[in-house]
Amino acid sequence: MTLTTVAEALNAEVLVKGESFDKPIRHVVASDLMSDVLLVDEENMLLLTSLASDQVLRTAQIVGAAGVVVVNGKPLPSSMVSVSEELGMSLLTSKLSKYDACIAVHRKLSA
Amino acid sequence: MSSSALPIDTTHQPLVLLELIQRLKVRDVMTTAISSVPRSAPLSEAQKLMRTLQISGVPVVEEGRLFGLVSIDDIIRALEGGYIGKPSGEYMTKKLVVLEDDMPLSFAIQYFDRYSYGRFPVLNRDRALVGIICQRDINRKLLVELSVELNRMEENSRPHELEANPDIYMLHEFSVAKYDFENAGKAANSIKTAMIERGFPPKIVRRVAVAAYELEINLCVHSDGGVMSWQISNGRSEIVAKDTGPGIEDVAWACRDGTSTANEWIRSLGFGAGMGLVNVKRVSDKFEITSKKGGGTTVRSIVNITEVSK
Repeated sequence: MTLTTVAEALNAEVLVKGESFDKPIRHVVASDLMSDVLLVDEENMLLLTSLASDQVLRTAQIVGAAGVVVVNGKPLPSSMVSVSEELGMSLLTSKLSKYDACIAVHRKLSA
Repeated sequence: MSSSALPIDTTHQPLVLLELIQRLKVRDVMTTAISSVPRSAPLSEAQKLMRTLQISGVPVVEEGRLFGLVSIDDIIRALEGGYIGKPSGEYMTKKLVVLEDDMPLSFAIQYFDRYSYGRFPVLNRDRALVGIICQRDINRKLLVELSVELNRMEENSRPHELEANPDIYMLHEFSVAKYDFENAGKAANSIKTAMIERGFPPKIVRRVAVAAYELEINLCVHSDGGVMSWQISNGRSEIVAKDTGPGIEDVAWACRDGTSTANEWIRSLGFGAGMGLVNVKRVSDKFEITSKKGGGTTVRSIVNITEVSK
């Protein structure tokens, strides 16, 4: 599964295509708590969150995530796109709820 | 009171100056050696004090309580009116503008801008007179504090210790300001980038980056601001996060899973789950914390980086 697959499955809008956009994703974390995200030891994971803040991107960068999907159709602060570009972190938004997004991504992962 | 009354543009000035006049309290700047007269003292006694001490106002005080102030204007009027021998209590200025000792210095600066007085009496919470502040006190204190601050900034911007200690081959320092969420994470980010560029193994880079990030967020969320330093020497990475307060009452409690003093606002930003220190400990080979309630906190995280691939 790549971020292109994720974007299709979640009907997500790709705002920034980062460095790891085409890398295969084997692990997904869904959380709004950045300390929990920092506990994850998987490289190239996908972060699903309903938290729309710059710190989500910085956290994702620290753990080497492949990309971030902000779910629930949360409006993003304008700084998120520029921080995302600066960090080379892929940024997507989806109107799906976090729960539905998890189900959709799980189906693609186990397909 | 709006900060726009300050004589500087508060949006585009260096943060260090604004922080300084917020951090310094009136009590840090005021003169505490007060020469005063009682109400019964003749105005001539106040005049004498002014001349010998070269001051422009004498407070009228009895048992710590401030009744008024004899200013140079009062003396001039008394000399003109021929009542310099009369009691100060009758002719002193009674309507006073006072400052409180725990107000930030910025208040005092605004007061001097707003009123034409040369000095303000300073009262404590019990309304007792504890000092006098004049513009000269502010100038002197600001010069001293700015010099300390500039010295520190110069120190930080210098690649120090590199020549002095050949074992250290990387040393960086980052200042982290309280609640500065816009910049929090940038230090950890540059640490990560520097390590990747130097070819350290990804697993090691991640551990150091996670420790740096958690410590940086902690400084931003919980402390009054501080400095995070990072150095690589003798096969290990060492991060030291040092703040100036407010200190941790129970360090063991703070290091426990799920304990946090973060407020709702911090939680809404995705932090304050009470995992920070636990997480730093988890990724560190050596973890130390020292703190004192009312003082500063220092956290040290060491990660062994023996498998250096150059």
